[in-house]
Amino acid sequence: MPGTGFAECNRAPALHMKRRHFLLAILAVASSARAANEEVRRFRVAFANLNEELATSIEGLGFSGVEIRRSFELASRSLPLDMMYYDNGGDAEKALVNAADAVSRKVDLLIEYNSDTAANAEIGRQLKTAGIPVLAINHAIPGAPLYTADHLAAGRIAGQTLGQFAKQNWSDRTPVVVILGDVADPSPSVAARIQGVTEGLRQELPNVPPILLDSAGHSVRAEGVLAKFLGTQTRRKVLVATLDDASALAAKSAVETAGRTSDCVIVSQGASRIVHGGASEKKEIDPANRGSIILGSVAYYFDRYGYEVLPIAMQMLRGEQVPAQTRTNHVLISARNVFREYPPYDMN
Amino acid sequence: MRYASIVASVILSALALLGNLGVAEAQSDCKTLVKASPFGPDDQVGATNRITPAVTKAAAAEIQTGAVIPMAFNLVDGVPLFGTRFTKTILTSASLVPGGEYGKNKLTYMEDTYLSQSHVGTHIDGMGHIGIMDCYYNQTPMGKFVTQNSIKKLGLENLKTFATRGVIIDMVKVFQDAGKLKTNPACRTPCLDGGTVITEADIQAGLKMYNVTLREGDAVFLHTGWGDLFTQFPAQNATYNKAEPGIGKTAAQWLADQKVVLVGTDTWAVEVIPSEDAMEAFPVHALLLTDNGIHIVENVRTDLIAAEAASSKRASFFLSMTVPKAMGTTGTFINIEAIR
Repeated sequence: MPGTGFAECNRAPALHMKRRHFLLAILAVASSARAANEEVRRFRVAFANLNEELATSIEGLGFSGVEIRRSFELASRSLPLDMMYYDNGGDAEKALVNAADAVSRKVDLLIEYNSDTAANAEIGRQLKTAGIPVLAINHAIPGAPLYTADHLAAGRIAGQTLGQFAKQNWSDRTPVVVILGDVADPSPSVAARIQGVTEGLRQELPNVPPILLDSAGHSVRAEGVLAKFLGTQTRRKVLVATLDDASALAAKSAVETAGRTSDCVIVSQGASRIVHGGASEKKEIDPANRGSIILGSVAYYFDRYGYEVLPIAMQMLRGEQVPAQTRTNHVLISARNVFREYPPYDMN
Repeated sequence: MRYASIVASVILSALALLGNLGVAEAQSDCKTLVKASPFGPDDQVGATNRITPAVTKAAAAEIQTGAVIPMAFNLVDGVPLFGTRFTKTILTSASLVPGGEYGKNKLTYMEDTYLSQSHVGTHIDGMGHIGIMDCYYNQTPMGKFVTQNSIKKLGLENLKTFATRGVIIDMVKVFQDAGKLKTNPACRTPCLDGGTVITEADIQAGLKMYNVTLREGDAVFLHTGWGDLFTQFPAQNATYNKAEPGIGKTAAQWLADQKVVLVGTDTWAVEVIPSEDAMEAFPVHALLLTDNGIHIVENVRTDLIAAEAASSKRASFFLSMTVPKAMGTTGTFINIEAIR
């Protein structure tokens, strides 16, 4: 009997082990099936864009809403996403209607780019009620992670670049500094850009406060305003920080017309397609144009938003934690790095 | 004196070691950036090494009717090119002028001067075309081998024959069958739209469609329909050049794993444009040419052979394509024909 007992005792664990292996095998099959399901699971994501009117310059930086949308189309190619697109048309009411439509279509996630604070609060509330996560772009939505440009940091890069140029090249002179563009624009982003330029300059040239020159958002006016200013500064070196690329090109024209190309340099904001292009386009910021008085333009990468935002969306859809705020990594685009940052494809 | 000579020899040895380290560092850079060739450290031939007599003989079995299908576009002024690139010919025909004939038999002659960039029209990219930094195929530090006029390594003169089997894969049909064809309105016939990524699965579906399996030494051609825009030159040049459908990196790697010798399409770059990763420049070019020595052929006329394959349910053919022995060049326009 003891022997039997021993045998049974031995058999029992064997049976137990077999059962355990069986259960483990079932679990493994189930988990691999679940993994397979997860691999093929596709998500429905809606992107409500700020404004796709071609004439509208997004955040005043020379990009169109169409470029932003296209970046989402391209970035989503290699992701398990079925995208839906809305155009908020720069209209808070339309943004609310679009969000309601996205809710009715039971999307898995809404990416909202809308500048109206009150509408964003309402959108956040509606989506929360519907149990749909929201990812905000550039304008906060209560309770939603935010992907945003860092206007202050971008401005600092421009200010530092100008200041460093002056220290390296005009060390025996005290330059005058101007910030040119739609400086009266009441939006916080423009104010942050101006503040950033000022701070960046102060780091390099502590005693040179910038002078604001208002173009009211018109490049022709920007050229005229700067031309007039240059006429008052005939013996000074001039550092020009422009708030957008159109103003930078206008500033360059003013400097050339005044015959002051040896006295002025310009750093811009945006790095939009009007200042850089492909290998064959020979635009202002180009390796073949290293001598330009436009030293560079700080990139905001609106045309890459899809590539930046959709990975965050994917993390949210997988239930992973994402930072409350993710900021654009702004970089000065110059003749030295333009083709690394924006690889050209106009060659074959 | 003895002490001095020992010190001197130690210093010289140290300098020599430093010198060697410098060389080793330069070489290790290319070893880091580019794969070694499976054909040996001195190889300049690339994937055409795979076209052995046995491969050519097997490919000859594809010739069943003798029908020849053109696969190149006419090279003519106005075809899609970038920037200031051009292709022009200047005709020398002086002897046609009355009284300019030669001899009593009044012989006349003409010849051409080509003024052209080499990568125009239907053309092949050689291994001197694409590198990562100064590192080219087979870890070649190309900076040491360039002159103002040509390259001293990896020129087209090194290539072996392309007498091999060609396989046409009809991506338009694959996408149509999968119900995912998104065409471009400028295409007069169905085409994959610019930016469409062709995956490994798409290629395999296309091969399955005609029950063909790739084998080592094959030349693979993909029909995307985008070439219809090429034929509409100059009206659609901007659309043609702005983007294109094409293979992504995983598909390119899969083709490389099949040990093909050439990938050609009816587009200007073979690979999807814009790229899957916006920060990468021509990653498929680097993968095929630089890492694997697999040639890229662009602006291939694929519509006729795709139609022929559809009607006959046979996707393979004998490839007729020769590359001039133009020493030290990175590419050249070519003619291609499919012999059935």
